[in-house]
Amino acid sequence: MNEEFENRLRRALRRVDAPEGFAERVMRARPARPAAADLVPLRPVRPTSVSAWRRFSAPAALAASLLVAVFAGQHVATLKAEREQQAGLAASRELMQALRLTSQKLDLAYEAVQRPAPPPAAEEENRS
Amino acid sequence: MNPESAQAEEPLLLERARRGDEAAFAALIRMHQASVFSIGLRMLNRRDAAEDLAQDVFLQLYRKLDSIESLEHAGFWLRRVAANLAIDWLRRAAYTRAAPLEDGVEIPAPPTCEDPLMDRELVRLLGELAPAARAVMVLRYQEDRDVAEIAAALDMPVNTVKSHIKRSLTAMRGKMIGAQLVTAEELS
Repeated sequence: MNEEFENRLRRALRRVDAPEGFAERVMRARPARPAAADLVPLRPVRPTSVSAWRRFSAPAALAASLLVAVFAGQHVATLKAEREQQAGLAASRELMQALRLTSQKLDLAYEAVQRPAPPPAAEEENRS
Repeated sequence: MNPESAQAEEPLLLERARRGDEAAFAALIRMHQASVFSIGLRMLNRRDAAEDLAQDVFLQLYRKLDSIESLEHAGFWLRRVAANLAIDWLRRAAYTRAAPLEDGVEIPAPPTCEDPLMDRELVRLLGELAPAARAVMVLRYQEDRDVAEIAAALDMPVNTVKSHIKRSLTAMRGKMIGAQLVTAEELS
């Protein structure tokens, strides 16, 4: 249904030529645009090594700082663990020593209790 | 340089224009001026405004030459900028009311058209559409662009473009029949 109407619309909306001299008027209205070959760099070109150093120095420093921080943290954690381990061993040794002494004292007490008492006659003879 | 020979030198033309070759840029203008001027004319309904718009569009192209990748891209870019700029202008007070054709607006009928009166009426009805719908119709029926390209040029979803086309066709067709310029049988 719309096909015939669409074709009529296409005919009615056919392109129209631009006015005479249009391109010339646009050319005259252009702002100055230097040709690529005439372009002069505003700043001298820096050597690649320097610019690369400038470009990568900040990220490299950041990465190095992170690495140092990680290793230092790891080292501190190791030292702390070692110290805790040594303290634990020392406490364990002290406890064992205390247990040993206690055990010895208990043995002496047990022997004293178990030893038979001397007879009473012998006691009198001794007095005379 | 005519458009055909310019087309043949396509790869060089853009590069030469970028390097400041005036003849190459002038050839680019001539290659696309009818398209851009006609978009302006159909959108704004005024020859003077259409010429201003076309000039503005080509000056923008001149500043953006470095970002244009090919002549095809240039064509797309020009249609896009022309249509969007026209929508902008239409939304401003100065161009919101299209001057009637009798007030010096002279839109020539194509020399081979069968019915100049009907063509003028169709152009007038196009001018009654809202700016975005008008841009869609101009890109579709003047520039013969497909729906996807129109959507890309106007930053619209494809379904919105389809909807604009359908509604505009229905409205224009209804008004043509209502004005008895055409009968429903003639369009069926």
